[in-house]
Amino acid sequence: MTWEEVLIQQTVNGLTRGAVFALIALGYTMVYGIIGLINFAHGDVFMLGLFISLAYFALLGTTTTLQGWHLVTILPMVFLATMLTTGLLNVTIDRVAYRPLRHAFRLAPLITAIGVSFMLENLTLIWRGPAPIAYPDLFPSVDILRDWLGMDSLLFITTKDVLVLGTTVPLLIALQYFVTRTRWGKAMRATAQDKETALALGIDVEKTIILTFFIGGALAGAAGLIQGLYYNIGMWWMGYQAGLRAFTAAVLGGIGSMPGAALGGLLIGFLSAWSDQYISARWTNALVFAILILVLVFRPQGLLGERVPDKA
Amino acid sequence: MSGGVGLLELQDIHAYYGNIRALKGVSLRVGRGEIVTLIGSNGAGKTTTLRTVLGTVRPLRGTVTFDGRRIDRVPTHRIARLGIAQSPEGRRIFAPMTVLENLELGAFARTDREAIARDLEHVLALFPRLRDRLQQKGGTLSGGEQQMLAMGRALMAHPDMLLLDEPSMGLSPILVETIFDIIQSINRLGTTILLVEQNARMALRVAHRGYVIQTGRIVLQDAAAALLHSDVVRKAYLGEK
Amino acid sequence: MTDRDRLRPLPAALLVTALLAYPFVDRALQAQTVHAVTDAMIYVLLALGLNIVVGYAGLLDLGYAAFFAIGAYTMGLLNSPVLGSPLYGHAWSFWVVIWISALVSAGLGVVIGAPTLRVRGDYLAIITLAFGEIIPVAIRNLGDITIDIGGWQPVQRLNLTGGENGVNPVGRPHLPGVNFDTDFIPWYFLILVIGAASLWAMSRMRHSRLGRAWMAIREDETAADCTGVNPVKTKLLAFALGASFAGFAGSFYAAKLQAITPGAFEFNVSIMLLCMVVLGGMGSLRGVILGGMLITLFDRILLAQMTFLIRWIGRSLGIAALASVDLTLWRWFFFGLGLVVIMLIRPEGLAGRRVRPPAADVDEREEALALVTAPPPPRADTVPAWLRQSAPSAAAPVTRPVLEVRGLTRRFGGLLAVSEADLRIPPRGIVGLIGPNGAGKTTFFNLITGLLRPDRGEILLDGESLIGLRPHAIVGRGVARTFQSIRLFQNMTVLDNVLVGEHCRLLASVAGAVLRPPAVVAEEARARDRARDMLAFVGLPDRDEELAKNLAYGDQRRLEIARALASQPRLLLLDEPTAGMNPRETDALTELIGLLREEIGLAVLLIEHRMEVVMAISDRITVLDYGTRIAEGTPAEIRRDAKVIEAYLGKGYEAELVSG
Repeated sequence: MTWEEVLIQQTVNGLTRGAVFALIALGYTMVYGIIGLINFAHGDVFMLGLFISLAYFALLGTTTTLQGWHLVTILPMVFLATMLTTGLLNVTIDRVAYRPLRHAFRLAPLITAIGVSFMLENLTLIWRGPAPIAYPDLFPSVDILRDWLGMDSLLFITTKDVLVLGTTVPLLIALQYFVTRTRWGKAMRATAQDKETALALGIDVEKTIILTFFIGGALAGAAGLIQGLYYNIGMWWMGYQAGLRAFTAAVLGGIGSMPGAALGGLLIGFLSAWSDQYISARWTNALVFAILILVLVFRPQGLLGERVPDKA
Repeated sequence: MSGGVGLLELQDIHAYYGNIRALKGVSLRVGRGEIVTLIGSNGAGKTTTLRTVLGTVRPLRGTVTFDGRRIDRVPTHRIARLGIAQSPEGRRIFAPMTVLENLELGAFARTDREAIARDLEHVLALFPRLRDRLQQKGGTLSGGEQQMLAMGRALMAHPDMLLLDEPSMGLSPILVETIFDIIQSINRLGTTILLVEQNARMALRVAHRGYVIQTGRIVLQDAAAALLHSDVVRKAYLGEK
Repeated sequence: MTDRDRLRPLPAALLVTALLAYPFVDRALQAQTVHAVTDAMIYVLLALGLNIVVGYAGLLDLGYAAFFAIGAYTMGLLNSPVLGSPLYGHAWSFWVVIWISALVSAGLGVVIGAPTLRVRGDYLAIITLAFGEIIPVAIRNLGDITIDIGGWQPVQRLNLTGGENGVNPVGRPHLPGVNFDTDFIPWYFLILVIGAASLWAMSRMRHSRLGRAWMAIREDETAADCTGVNPVKTKLLAFALGASFAGFAGSFYAAKLQAITPGAFEFNVSIMLLCMVVLGGMGSLRGVILGGMLITLFDRILLAQMTFLIRWIGRSLGIAALASVDLTLWRWFFFGLGLVVIMLIRPEGLAGRRVRPPAADVDEREEALALVTAPPPPRADTVPAWLRQSAPSAAAPVTRPVLEVRGLTRRFGGLLAVSEADLRIPPRGIVGLIGPNGAGKTTFFNLITGLLRPDRGEILLDGESLIGLRPHAIVGRGVARTFQSIRLFQNMTVLDNVLVGEHCRLLASVAGAVLRPPAVVAEEARARDRARDMLAFVGLPDRDEELAKNLAYGDQRRLEIARALASQPRLLLLDEPTAGMNPRETDALTELIGLLREEIGLAVLLIEHRMEVVMAISDRITVLDYGTRIAEGTPAEIRRDAKVIEAYLGKGYEAELVSG
């Protein structure tokens, strides 16, 4: 491949990975922004998004590649159902495990979140077994350049790449619109900035927190579904790694900042693709964690950060 | 003592601020249409009193009654919807949000779009400087402008009662005069005001009645003019017997 | 040591006998549990090491398994006869390597601890987690290192750590007459000895100058810094010492197991150890041992037994789902559930002290009590002799002010919080600092005590500059402070709070804490006597063992002053010391301050909002407004100063009085 082709290919790889990380990172950043909690179980909500979507597909009897009419009805339906489910799951976790600890000593919610994470992972292990699960190739995968455009290129860009970007970008735009233009979105931002003043304006802070968890969980569920459709495989332990990488993305972009989460997701996506390609996949984790450490120590507000994370 | 039916009544309030017992039996009344001021030096318990009204601080003992209804156990966001709005100590506007967004959030609890639009016009007429800066982020405003924004935001709730916490803090004397003139106009249009201030002179000039609080207790109460033209307030502030 | 921590003789003797007899009883009964119990003890030792970091110092370490790994690999690599790598091929003695392991682990502790010093709370936890992930990755990948630079390969398939396959075999300890090769019992006694020695060392550390410093950091790091405890050094010691025990455990583990692989040191191991510490009670040695035993019991025995039981029930009732259940697959679910449930229900753990919710009607009780049992007014003869001796002699000619501040300036973004402020405190002087809200008084204090650095200006204590010194160093120089909102170490006893105040005047090191040579023992005894004298002086005698958080409000204020005085300061900074006090307490405090000046020559700078107090106590008063000094003089002068009146009451106030 020429260097231009390599660049394009890397860009596409980075974007598709980055999109998924961005969706997950948003959940982390929104929750941290509003109640200062690192939702350790968030990565597992992503993982459950994959398996839950798989279950919904199975429920609808879908086992082979979707075509035509089915594609435009079943796929959106499963998307909505999955996002609804994971959103509610995230809210439930907050109500049961985090909310009672809102005024407890500072590390209690983090410890609880780790506990929840383990519970979710183990439940999935029991539910689906220890081995990786194949996610059927439900989305038609067409090599765009070769099959549609008739080009003979070493570049490999498929309709799956379009799917990832085609679902993530609208979600991000919708979220941005929600947060900046709607009443509840503004309430969320106000609560994240100054809880006490928000209350004095008549904003029901607890409801806002519920909404935040719901949206964060829904986005993570969408990411899980996309992950399944794209990579065709799911593992009960994938939430942990994806979660930490997405958290790194959130911190890198600036914890508490939503554009920051999207930017961070993209950067980590690029970085992990690049590292897999040029260094070695087995070192990528170490690289990502090294970045996490460096950012937290030397620039905790990240690139675009508003809220300085100083949870003393 | 004038005032008519008390819109807001505090009876024998005992409350903590952190682990300090900040209020030790505070009682005061604000009649409809009045400006009542609560003055005292720092640490006397002024802000804690306002926070008790808003429900941020739950009193250990005593009652808070608003428009005939007990609110000392009601959650803050519901109290705000009963017709009480505040301009808090230190302004506490939302710095990353625009002036317009800040003002709109003031009307969060309301649903009558036309009335909200009218109130927005009214606020901008009251504070022309804000109109020039509608799309600017709140954090870029000067201290005086932020104070106007905080008060404008409170007015957007179209409240029956306005709580003002140290509006003069950090402002130049000229601005202080302007703000207090505005406070008077707001009151003339029918809003009841409870004004907490350290600057006794300005507060007593605009208020109808005044309470002086010292270490959590009310030590003086009288018509504002009486307090202003006697030496008692100064003695209380400066610790003379 | 308190009674809680000391074992009574009879149960102790029984315990020791049981521990010694157990393996032989097991052999006689052919129960074959020694092997499993020995393994369990490894993890209990690890949990005890983690307890130092999490329980004592309050630093949530989510990657503790990394130290375990380093300890195991140090033993594995230095003590393996396997050839083929630059690190293998040696057969060092187990007894030597175990100490090297501890040292290497401690070193890693310092490396991991260093970046976390600037970071707190959950971010610190995440960083330790990240390190805990990097270590196994590194171990795996360093088994096959190839550096390829455009075709030139200086390093080809270098095997440093054995990679995924790990290291095996690992050499065994040699002790004449003892069979470590085929017998489990020697291993049991070895870990028992290591464990007992570790417990002994930990207990010694806990009840020492170092242990108190750890707990102070855990309770309130800023207050600890302002009381004279060096947070950096203390935290690094927690990491290093905590890690060293993992080094011991790791070495033992490697030698016993004969083979180590990176998979044994992953995140879930760190979490299991955290479960033990959290379940047992952070900071409690007995609690952690209990937690460790319970979790190991649960993990190794209970789950299996419950599985048999449920399967039996399933078979008897003909329910296929039950008959094929395997509860051992659920272990992590239960650990996770355990963490959640404990945090929700009993966060202090099984052995921790129950947190008492603050009494609702405490103010009524307090009022009544205060009227009846007002604190005894401090008297000149109760001033501790040693404090008197440390004071500058009244006779010596002193012309230099104790504190001299010139042109002090500090900005926050666009706001000028303190601007060109001057202040002078003569020896034995009491100066009041007043000003309206937002005038910059607290910022001024924070600049003097080192919590903030000034942009410009000078701060001289007895002629020596304090600028650039960390707060704990400034305490060492002789400046102590109290806080407006009382920052005591809530979960420490009254006596311990004061002892932390003495921290910077004591010399005991880590070795001293553990070995307790006569000099250290004497120093501790002296420190305790002094602390008790101080408590008696401020009016809190015989309350040594009470927890600070259970004290009445006025008593807490006095305790904070005792803690500040314990560092033998030359200058005492009091931040609103009478806030919330009733008149009697206020009078007592005023007398106390006067006495401090008379009897020990202490200079005092106080922020006060209560005018009657500040006017009565101070020799001179400085008034700040908008960060600048607007007036300075005697109380009488300040009272009449028009600028001061205006600052507080509003411009034109005087004019208004006249015109009205």
